Amino acid sequence: MIVVVGLSHRTAPIAVRERLVLGSDALPGFLRQLTERPEVGEALLISTCNRVELVAAGRAGADALERVAQACREALAAHGREIEPHLYAYTGGAAVRHLFRVAASLDSLVVGEPQILGQVKEAYDVARKLGTVGSILHRTLPRVIRAAKRVRTETAIGSGQVSVPSVAVELTRQIFGELSGRAVLLVGSGEMAEAVARLLKGAGTQLSVIGRTPERVAELADSVGGKSLAWADLKSALGVADVIVSSTSAPGFVIDHEMVASGRKARRGKNRFFIDLAVPRDIEPSIERLDGEFLYNIDDLSQVVAEALSSRSREADAAEAIVAREAEGYDRWADAEQATPTIVALRARLSAALEEELSRSLRGKLKHLGPDDRAALERMVESALNRMLHQPTVRLRQAALDRNGDVLPLDQLSLALSELFALASEPNAEEGEDPADSEPRAVAVRR
Amino acid sequence: MQDTATIAFFLGVIAYSVAATLFFLELARREPGVRGAQWAPRVLAIGAVAHAAHIVTASLLSRVCPVESLHFGLSLSALIAVTVYLLVRKRLRMNAIGAFIAPVALTFLIGAQFVGEASAAAASLPRGLLALHIAANVSGVGLFLIAGAAGAFYLVQERRLRKKHVKSGGSRLPALDLLERTEHRLLLAGFPLLTFGVVTGALFVHRLGENGNADFFRTLLGYATWLLLAGVLFLRQAAGVRGRRATYGTLAGVVCMLLVMLLYAVRLGGGSS
Repeated sequence: MIVVVGLSHRTAPIAVRERLVLGSDALPGFLRQLTERPEVGEALLISTCNRVELVAAGRAGADALERVAQACREALAAHGREIEPHLYAYTGGAAVRHLFRVAASLDSLVVGEPQILGQVKEAYDVARKLGTVGSILHRTLPRVIRAAKRVRTETAIGSGQVSVPSVAVELTRQIFGELSGRAVLLVGSGEMAEAVARLLKGAGTQLSVIGRTPERVAELADSVGGKSLAWADLKSALGVADVIVSSTSAPGFVIDHEMVASGRKARRGKNRFFIDLAVPRDIEPSIERLDGEFLYNIDDLSQVVAEALSSRSREADAAEAIVAREAEGYDRWADAEQATPTIVALRARLSAALEEELSRSLRGKLKHLGPDDRAALERMVESALNRMLHQPTVRLRQAALDRNGDVLPLDQLSLALSELFALASEPNAEEGEDPADSEPRAVAVRR
Repeated sequence: MQDTATIAFFLGVIAYSVAATLFFLELARREPGVRGAQWAPRVLAIGAVAHAAHIVTASLLSRVCPVESLHFGLSLSALIAVTVYLLVRKRLRMNAIGAFIAPVALTFLIGAQFVGEASAAAASLPRGLLALHIAANVSGVGLFLIAGAAGAFYLVQERRLRKKHVKSGGSRLPALDLLERTEHRLLLAGFPLLTFGVVTGALFVHRLGENGNADFFRTLLGYATWLLLAGVLFLRQAAGVRGRRATYGTLAGVVCMLLVMLLYAVRLGGGSS
């Protein structure tokens, strides 16, 4: 089982979160230092602009989870006194569920955002290269990533844009397709209009800025990478522009029906898109009755955003269901894993005994056997070992998965086997090697 | 050979049906589906290959050049429409139009089976000119079918945007400007072919002296098609008329063209001119 300790946009303001940002230079030392602590066996760090989380596993199984969490907490809190109060810690099943939700972007500031999955993958890759992940995280992270991919492919949680500026740009694409080279006119200097203009500029459009205050227009044009125009040129600029983004503080219409209708002939029927982000409105609504003229005001755009958010909310429910199923599957796997140390130890004990007896026989009474006969004998012993271990393996796994008390508890069975076979602690068992998942191993024979 | 023609025909019918279904499912999806979007054009291409195989084998069997017979001409025009669509689809990002082209190709492929044989009078026409007449008409029909599809999608997309029935996440339909440009370019490409078809058709009518009602309406509709499409092209060039009004003109022209094809198909006695 794992622990997750960290802080996020839910628990800490940006002033605190930025204290915990670890650069690529500092990260290796941080993770290595943490995993060198006696209670922490494995660790990786998920670091995004909205969260910093340590995902860790202990060296000595579930009992030590609290100690692992404390170690992680101390490691993170060492970056500043103000960090500690904002930290949260999840252990065991809660940590697993949290990690699944994070990777599936259900815990993100913008639910459904696609970056988080890549960031989780990157955190895993970095830790893998540094050698700070072991068998538990090696088995957990691929499941987490797979569940997040399922969420993205089986639900529409990641589709659609959810801000007014991005919706405005998306609509522009639905009218014009490729935006490269299109003329965009920014009228006024509202914050949202500026955001739309920046997105359109990013799409390769030719941007012009027009406004009543020349200094402000020049400043804005510099800032968004556009050309500044004098207010007197508004009518001619409208004739050239394919997209007009307006956001002035004027009390009445800045662009009226007559102004638009009179310039249509020069445009030779080409489509034009007006985005009115001002309140009160800058553009006379009747222009949308003209063929080839499209007008969306702030309410129209907000409506699209609201529908997208509501759709995402529905999709988030479906995503939560997938995450819940995947986390349940992980729990079953983790429960079954509790039986693994005993199974591995039992196999090692029996295998060692058989190997010893077989070697002795092959050096003694059976030394006349040729290579083929020896190989056949080894196969027979291996097969017998697998058959002997089959039933105990099944029973131990049943006991690990049982939650109703239908079979003897795992700890009793493990204890009994340890007593009966004098099972020692196995290094492989600690690393969680699962005999059921691996190929049957041949009994090594000394010749 | 007969078996090959039959198998190719049925394979074409099946592939066009599956492609049409996939295109419609893709259009009906709330979110873009990568698989549907990938497979529909592929299945349509399989249908086109089977369709071509059917035309080749069936024309060899009946010893008729495909461009000298209305039977094959109808079928060939649908094949040309599908081929042009498959060629321009990626470049113009017009996947959605497959939802129109696939059913039309299916209809023409099946419909061509029910067209009558050429009249004896048609045999008196010069074979070379007749072949050019049919080839021009068939190619024009193929191009105008896609232009009509682009126009129909233009109206749907335009209405969506105008009524603000838009959803975040994009549309399955191509951008308005792209649809308008495609429609215009295909009209430009098809118009010389249509003009040639109308002129040669007028010559043939004069020579054969056909004057039944069906022939009269067919000729009238042929001229109406030419006038409408010429009007659309002229008004765009001279007065910058585009968008919805130009699309109405294009669709009216395409409907007239389809009526001409229908009259060819149903007229008693059949004929290839």
